[in-house]
Amino acid sequence: MKGRLLIAGTAAVLAAAVLALGGVLRPGRAAAGPGDALPTAVAAELQKGFSAGDTKSEIAGLQAELRIYPHSSKALDTLGLAYQQRARETADPSYYGKAQGILDRALGLDRNDLIATAGLGQLALSRHQFRRALALGLRAKRISPTTAGVYGVIGDAELELGRYPQAFASFDHMNAIKPDVASYARVSYARELLGDTRGAIRAMSLASSAAVGEREASAWTHVQLGLLYLNSGRASHAVAEMRDALALFPSYYFALDGMAQAETSLGNLRSAARLEAEAVAKVPLPQYVGLLGDLKQATGHTRAARREYALIPVIQKLLAANGVRNDLDIALFDVDHGIDLPRALQLARKGYTERPSILGDDVLSWALARNGECRAALPRSERALRLHTQDPVKLFHRGYIAACLGGDARSYYARALALNPRFSLIWAPVARKGLAR
Amino acid sequence: MRKLALGLLVAAVAAVLGVVVATRSGGPGTAAASSHREAPLISQDPTADNTDLYAFVSPDKPSTATIISNWIPGEDPAAGPNYYTFSSTARYDIYADTNGDGRPDISWYVRFKNLPSQFFLGNTQQSYTVTKVEHGKSTIVGKGLLTPPDNIGPRSTPNYASLAAKGVHTLTDGTTIFAGQRDDPFFADVGAIFDLVAIRHGTGATGGGKDFLAGYGVHSIALQVPKSLVDNSSNHVVGIWSATDRQRVTVSHGKARTRWVQVSRLGNPLINEVLIPTGKKDYWNSTSPAQDKQFAQYYKTPILAAVLQKLYPQFGPYPQTNRTDLVSVLLTGLANPKLNYTGATLADELRLNLSIPPTPAGMVNRLGVIGGDLAGYPNGRRLADDVIDIDERVVAGELLGHKLPLGDGVDANDVPNLSSFPYVAAPFSGFDNTKSQATKTSG
Repeated sequence: MKGRLLIAGTAAVLAAAVLALGGVLRPGRAAAGPGDALPTAVAAELQKGFSAGDTKSEIAGLQAELRIYPHSSKALDTLGLAYQQRARETADPSYYGKAQGILDRALGLDRNDLIATAGLGQLALSRHQFRRALALGLRAKRISPTTAGVYGVIGDAELELGRYPQAFASFDHMNAIKPDVASYARVSYARELLGDTRGAIRAMSLASSAAVGEREASAWTHVQLGLLYLNSGRASHAVAEMRDALALFPSYYFALDGMAQAETSLGNLRSAARLEAEAVAKVPLPQYVGLLGDLKQATGHTRAARREYALIPVIQKLLAANGVRNDLDIALFDVDHGIDLPRALQLARKGYTERPSILGDDVLSWALARNGECRAALPRSERALRLHTQDPVKLFHRGYIAACLGGDARSYYARALALNPRFSLIWAPVARKGLAR
Repeated sequence: MRKLALGLLVAAVAAVLGVVVATRSGGPGTAAASSHREAPLISQDPTADNTDLYAFVSPDKPSTATIISNWIPGEDPAAGPNYYTFSSTARYDIYADTNGDGRPDISWYVRFKNLPSQFFLGNTQQSYTVTKVEHGKSTIVGKGLLTPPDNIGPRSTPNYASLAAKGVHTLTDGTTIFAGQRDDPFFADVGAIFDLVAIRHGTGATGGGKDFLAGYGVHSIALQVPKSLVDNSSNHVVGIWSATDRQRVTVSHGKARTRWVQVSRLGNPLINEVLIPTGKKDYWNSTSPAQDKQFAQYYKTPILAAVLQKLYPQFGPYPQTNRTDLVSVLLTGLANPKLNYTGATLADELRLNLSIPPTPAGMVNRLGVIGGDLAGYPNGRRLADDVIDIDERVVAGELLGHKLPLGDGVDANDVPNLSSFPYVAAPFSGFDNTKSQATKTSG
């Protein structure tokens, strides 16, 4: 339950959240899940094992160095990146603010500091501030147009802003400068969005090969391969990839979550719930907690499910307080779970303006449809599928809207279920019923 | 690209000056909170990372030259079950320039294949193919060759010396080759370098440093080339560099032929780490020696000279600008004394004069040419050449008459190198490792 304690610790400084937390977290902790049994040694191993080394002691060393040489750009740059690595390791978003402060200091010393500029771009991506990330990426490019990483920042931002041709060109350029795990993975994602699953798997296999020797990055590529298999009807391949990831990097939360998704797809809901609880215990990301709630609900543990769901708004508040914009994620969760639909639609609209990507189109279309505005939802849903992405969730939404408008949903439902027979514990049964009709 | 050791030299001392140089840490990037794809942004790609390059006239076989290129820094013998292998998706390149124009006249390309049941069972043996390109003509000179497995321990890999001996093959062009795991022959006091340049005792010339690479392994490709293949028979100087390529992909691929992109290169030691600025590193790694003229400015004003000035002003002043002496050592070869000059073309290559006979064992001077031993660095580079000490001294102005006994206090590798091909010592095993108590049982 390390993750939850951590939320509590972070939240303590956020006066607004304190009262809410006390109420939510205590019952959460009392509900003993398999996560409770995890020895702290395993958790310690997780924190140590990241390829950047022992980030905690690296941070301490850099802080000491900065006390002696407060004007060391290199130490400031490295510390700024180390804080971001720490955020990834712990899911504690307060590291974002620390990274920001340190990298701003580095830029104060040298406004053409490449690492600080790109690092701030990466930070903006983490906070889902994609316009800001794009501006920083373009600044970094002016400083060094021949550094591959700057095209990663630019392309990631363009992608989330819905500028797909530009994003794909950025990724192509990045890979042409330097084929490595970072650029292969981005090309893979682009192919996945274009519905080219085989090509995506090929590129991610190259990423995996180029990541050998860097355990965390390597495990990450196996998780991505697993997810590609999972959403193309090969859940048992997905399990094998997640297993490889866990062998490389024990207790890796991405892999625990991925394995839980794969077990869900295979119908092994109990073991899925156990795995997701482990992932949540490591890092309480809202989407993990959401799936855990769904798994509890699906296995008849309604009260436990409700406890999980109740955590989500608290986590969201923490993220928001640290500059992270998550409106689309909140909207999707709320729409899926029937929570305050008019407000969810508002959030989806707001989220869309920040992130006009196919995800934005999809969440907005889904929110419109569940608010009874299927006519307005249709063009949104079509836009969400304009790249021909083979995503069961988006296909299901398209089918649902078709049915709502009196049309035939069956081809969409069939495709969604073929890609992943349990793409959602709530909505896959709806699709199945729709098909049987 | 010796990131592990030499990157630190500059990274650490840069703190003093407040300048940005290498960043090797940072790790994969981003995104605790995200529903967007959080791919890594920075990668070390150790299997594509050239650590060191050596080229020397073979001491026991002076009719041949030996080229050794190492990859994969910091192999920890005890790091199972993730044992080390060459990348099966990269291409490993060794280039020879026989006419001084900075372009390859002979290229050897090595590609590795994993054997079935590669990982988790500890099978680290790989097969490989060697393609030679000469005058635009490509020939396969070795096929289905095998590396030895990594040195796991007496049960998995008993009698390692004989396993390794089976890894020596002859190519159809008469070249002898070995590819596989070896002891890292590089030696340096990395810890002391981290603590602001390498000097534990006085100016470091009196020993007492700690070899922080002791006990670690690397993957080597070693070639023993008949001199006749690479000797131009006029000035007898051959320029050597090595590189790693990875396959380029595009979003809308098609099934085009493989397009290789160079992601790492290495001629003289320390260039990428010490001389090339952060924003130019990716570009430098993608270029070839023929294009090196554009980087000459960084050789002329080396940051390390400024660092020495700051740290050891009592021995200064150190020449910090217009360092044409460094340009000639590293980019053209030395004409005066007549050693390995190859003409006006600026190209970062390890230049070996094949007509200089090898120095007999026991008379080798670790300081090479500046120690009066013309068969050593920067005339090629031998395993025993102490490039940290040599570079510190040369940057401090040795060739300009500013002679200082600088060094890191580590004067030799932790284990003896072999007296015959592949010369690099056998790796420590995971069983009898470790780095902390470096004892070694198998040969």
